[in-house]
Order: sequence, then C-alpha cells, then structure tokens
Amino acid sequence: MKSARVRIVGPVYGIVTFCLLAAVTGMMVWWTPREETMGDVQKVFYIHLPAAINTFVACFVVFICSVMYLLQRRSWWDDLGFAAAKVAVLLASIVLLTGMIWGRSAWGAWWQWTPRLTFSLILWLLYVVYLMIRPSIESSQRRALICAVYGVIAFMDVPLVWLSTKLLPDIHPKTISMAPEMRLTLLAWFVPMTMLAAGLIVTSMRINRLQRAASEPAEELDEPRLVPAGGQA
Amino acid sequence: MTRAIRHITMLTLKDLRIEARGRQTIGLVVVLAVLIVVVLALGLGSGGGSGGLTATAILWVAYLFGGVLIFEKTMAVERHDDALAGLLLAPIDRGSIYAAKLLANLVLMFALALVVTPVGIMFFQFDLSVAPGGFALVMAVSMIGYAAVGTLFAALTSSTRLAGGLLAMLVFPITLPVVLISTRVLANLFEHGTSLAGSGLALLIAFDLMFLAASWLVFDVVLEA
Amino acid sequence: MTARLTIQHADIPRFTQAGAIEARTGQSDSRRVLRLAQSESAAMLPAVHAVGVHKVLDDRPILRDLTFDVPAGCYAALLGANGAGKTTLLRLLSTLTTPTRGELEIFGRNSRRQGALIRAGIGLIGHQSMLYRDLSALENLVFFGRLHDLSEPGVRAMDLLDFVGLVDRAHDPVKTFSRGMVQRVSIARALLHEPRLLLADEPFAGLDAPSVDTVERLMAQLNEQGMAVLLANHDVRQSLRLAERVLVLRKGRLALDAAASELTVEQVLREIEQR
Repeated sequence: MKSARVRIVGPVYGIVTFCLLAAVTGMMVWWTPREETMGDVQKVFYIHLPAAINTFVACFVVFICSVMYLLQRRSWWDDLGFAAAKVAVLLASIVLLTGMIWGRSAWGAWWQWTPRLTFSLILWLLYVVYLMIRPSIESSQRRALICAVYGVIAFMDVPLVWLSTKLLPDIHPKTISMAPEMRLTLLAWFVPMTMLAAGLIVTSMRINRLQRAASEPAEELDEPRLVPAGGQA
Repeated sequence: MTRAIRHITMLTLKDLRIEARGRQTIGLVVVLAVLIVVVLALGLGSGGGSGGLTATAILWVAYLFGGVLIFEKTMAVERHDDALAGLLLAPIDRGSIYAAKLLANLVLMFALALVVTPVGIMFFQFDLSVAPGGFALVMAVSMIGYAAVGTLFAALTSSTRLAGGLLAMLVFPITLPVVLISTRVLANLFEHGTSLAGSGLALLIAFDLMFLAASWLVFDVVLEA
Repeated sequence: MTARLTIQHADIPRFTQAGAIEARTGQSDSRRVLRLAQSESAAMLPAVHAVGVHKVLDDRPILRDLTFDVPAGCYAALLGANGAGKTTLLRLLSTLTTPTRGELEIFGRNSRRQGALIRAGIGLIGHQSMLYRDLSALENLVFFGRLHDLSEPGVRAMDLLDFVGLVDRAHDPVKTFSRGMVQRVSIARALLHEPRLLLADEPFAGLDAPSVDTVERLMAQLNEQGMAVLLANHDVRQSLRLAERVLVLRKGRLALDAAASELTVEQVLREIEQR
C-alpha cells in the first residue's frame, strides 16, 4: 500500500515542482522588466533570496533533528539531519554563487569581503563540514552523535556569524525598489524553491534509510523496527 | 556548590600534574606555534605585511592550531586506558568534568600565548605598547570561547581514528566569528584608537557565555556513548 | 621520582606483617577491605534484578528481554561469544548507559532514576585499567578516592595496595607496571568506595598465569567477604570453577541461567555457540 502510494506521489510531486520551476524561470526571463543600473544580472536576485530563506529553513531542520537525536538516539533523526544538511549546502552554494554573480556586476569583482558574502561563505563552510566529516567516522553511532552536537552548535553559531560579519564595511544594497512584476516574480520563486528543498530532503532521506538498512546485518531484522513518533509507520 | 568547586579543582590539578610530569603537550604545542609564525612570516616576506591586523591574524593561526593539539592531548589522557570511565563512575557531576577540562586547556593555552605572542610581535614589529591591556583582554576572552567549543568537541572526537584532524575541521568553522571579531576589534583598537567598549567585545562575551552554557548542557550526553 | 605526593604522609600507616594479614582476612575492623558486616536491610535485596531489559543502540537490538536476578553475595559468571552483549550488559549495570526498555535494579535502586546511588554501590573492572598511566599507583587511588569523598583516601589507598600486594610499588607510575600489576591496581581502584557488587569485564584477558591466579584469588576473597561478583568471561572451564552461577548470553538474549554445579563445560559451550 505504502510503496504504491509513494510510487505515485513521488513522481507527481517531482513533475509539479519541475513545471513550476520552468514557469517561474519563464517569468524571470521574459516577464520581469530589466533593472536600470544592473541590467539582466539583477535577475539572479529572484533565485538568490528564496534560496537564502530556504537555506535557513534547512539549517533549522538540521538543528531540530540534532536535538531530537540527542534526546532519543534514533538513527532516523540522524538520517533526516544528514538529508537536510545536504540540501542546506546545495542551497547555500546557490546563494553564494548568485551573490558572487551579483557582486561581479555591482562591484566588478567576484569576491568582496562584504558582510553578506562573508556570512554566506561561513554558513556554507559550517554545513559543508557537517557533510565532510561524516565518512571519516567509522562507528555510525559516534558519527550520529558528533554530527548531532555539531548540528546544534553550528546553528547556534549562525546568529553570531551574522553579527560578527556586521563589523565588516558594508556595500550591500539595503533596499531595492521593485516594480510590481518584480515583486510577484520574487514571491512566485519561493514556491518551487521551497518545494524543491522539501522534495530533495525527503528523497535524500529515503536514500539514507535504504542505505542504512542495506548496511545492517540481516540477522538483526527479526526484531521489530523502532519507528519514531514523527515517522510514517 | 563547594563540592563541585572542590571536584573541579581536583580534576584540573590532576590534568596539570600529568602535564607537568611529561611536559608532552606544551613543548610540542609551543614549537608548532612558533613554526607556524615563522612560516607565515617568511611567506609574507619580512616586514611586507606588518601592522596590527596581520600580526593578530597570524597569532590567531598559531593559537588555533596549538589549541587543537592541546584539546586533543588533554582529552587523550582520559581516553587512554579509559580513565574517563573511572570519572564517570565517581559520584561527581559531569559538568565538573567539563569545567575542569576547560580550565586545564585554558591554562595551557595561556601558557602557549605567553610564549608565542612575543615571538609574533617581534617578527612583525607590532607595537603592543599602544594597548597591552586591551590586547590581553580581547585575546583572553576569545580564547575562552575557543576553548569552550574545543573542549566539547575534543571529548567527542577523541575516540575516533582521526581525532586531531577531525577536531580541527569541527572547531575552526564554528570559531570563525571569534577570529573575525577579535581581529576587527584589535585592528580598531590599534589603528584607530577606538575604545574597547564597543559591540565587538560584548559579542565575544556573548559567544563565550552561549557556548559555555551549551557545552555544559550537552557534555552529559557526549560522554555517555 | 621527582614529584612527590600531595597527600600527607602521616596518613599512611606503616604496615606490619600482622596488619597485612588482618587486612586480608578481614578480622580487624579498621583494616578490612570491605565493611559489610553491618549490612542493612538491603542485604535481602538482590544485587541485580532485571526485568525485560532491552538495549537498542542505533536501532540495533544489543540486549533483548533479559530477565534475571543475581542474589547479594553471589559469584556469577557471564559467558557469551564476542558481540553477544556482555560488555553492554556490564555498562548497563554500572549505569554508564540506561536500558532502552525494561527495569533494572541494583540493590533495589532503579538504574534510570538512582544512577548516583547505584554507582556508590558498585565497582567496575573494565577491559582497560581506568587509571592514569603517568601517575603513581597511590596517586591514582588517592585521586579516585577523593572523587568518592573518602575521608582518608591515603589510608584507604594504602590498605588496598596492601590487599593487592603492591605496597612496595605504591610510588611508581602505573606505566612502569606489568599487565598483571596494573590489573591489581585497577581492582584496588574498583574497591575504593567499598562496593557491594563487583563487575568485572574479562579481568583475566592478557594476564600471565601467575597474575590470573592472583586476580582469581583476590576476587574469591572479596566474594567470601560478602561481595557479589559478576564476572564477564570467555573461559568456560575457569568460570565453572570460580562461580556459583552461570549466565549465558547469545545474540543479546539470555540463553542459560543455572547453578554452576549442575553444568558441564560441554553444555555451556553448546549454549554459547548454538546457531
């Protein structure tokens, strides 16, 4: 029953997300007006902001999973945290890249140590480390524990990173005057971006669960599996 | 409370006594830190990048790597022969174990700074006389934050194969704000003569308090596995 | 031998041969290794009382549905293949971890809620020595004794070093000791706070024959003085010789729980290895 439902829901969700993504890309390319000072490059902003917001959401998911793992010690939370961290890094990369493209056009250099770019970079580093340390810890229990503690501490670190980058000289645009089309396109971009983030987390989570099941000795399977309250039984 | 303080003192003194016996950590760490300063000084070209910001940045590199080694070594003392289990079986608060380890780490870090800072200052012709007290204060507050995070993660990674490298990977990104803030605050202090009362120092203290509290809470869980 | 101890030397009594004998036989109250004579009503409670104990680590069941008792003062052996869950069970009993499900009581105290009280009543000898190798035997014992709030850690430490026969090496760092000597110091460490249950995780591993003999004798003496002993071991013959009771773990389940006198080596081996 469950697998049949998943077999339908999964692809449908994917197709809808893809179509919406195509639609908002169309909106961005053809419908929105050209910004006067920045030209077409300004359009990366429609991707940049929704990606940034979703990065925070993904980081928050990592944080919640980390706390839950520390409380319950169930691998389910570790797998979800791992999935969310992957998506957080992916989105943070998008934020960083679009930010750099913007910077190249605005200041003529790919990299400036502005508060926001620096913040994006440190955030990206924080969560890349989460992913990179995983393979080097052999015991799955140790790995989950270290990552959970790291997930908590890293998330607590985010506001401090933000405040500390404020000490750097700022040349980031404070406010942007937007035409109605621009505003609508920006809002529209949030929908597929959020769907994409959620879909990727769920897919990645499913892969993590399958991999974990495959790596565990079969003889242990006669014991009923523990399914946490939030999981689909 | 007095019981906890007694335990913390006892545990810290035990660590320092073991260190005094072997002097394995501090010698190694000081040499490493001096090496780092020398390598960077040569790499940057003599006098090429002098000034407050460069000197403090390079000192930070030395402190960071030296610190990782200190945290790892002092925790290895507990993991070796599983003395940690002996501590866990004693009727003491797990928080005391954390606090004691943090204190021992800080003593060693301050000892490290005491040797390496003059070397760095000498190589980079950095004029400390402008605000020696301010420099010491900012560095001390920063090191407390760094050691708070380092002590926590050292307890986590010490039983893994890659202990040292893994610890550096985990601790460096988290303590980037500390490095950023302290170099900024010191640059302002030495180059523009700004007073320390600004937001920078408050932010460092906030970092210290936040991670001290978090580590204290999480340490219980960390030691269990 | 540069660094001296921080404890007052006045604390350390001079040992006469007679004193040492007293300590071993437990006749003089002040020198006894264990002071169990005045055992309270708790003496009636079993040392270990486990009901349906499960331990799941990382979704993997390590221990399943363990229900057994170890009476106070009993010498029990815990046998099982590698990975059967012996170490995990000892960690549970020493409250280093808590059961996932089920109830575990040590002398009537619940392992989830009264961990600190339980820890005051148990001594653990692990795979590793749990000692600081750079400190001397006496320093180690005094340090752990202070953590256990002993009023005279120096006296107690010397008493115990006498009990395990290492008084003359008290001031030497543990790293200069042989494996057998280290094991004796770690037994002394486990006894500092006069526990009523001694948990020993493969205490004979890596010891030479004379050391095995010494450790066997020490544990038997402690048991005679009323201490319950739970010995995790893999040598079946030795276990049957030493213990009154035998518990066998197989894949995390209790496969056998019987009096040692009723069992043969072959029977036990069959239980351990049964697929």
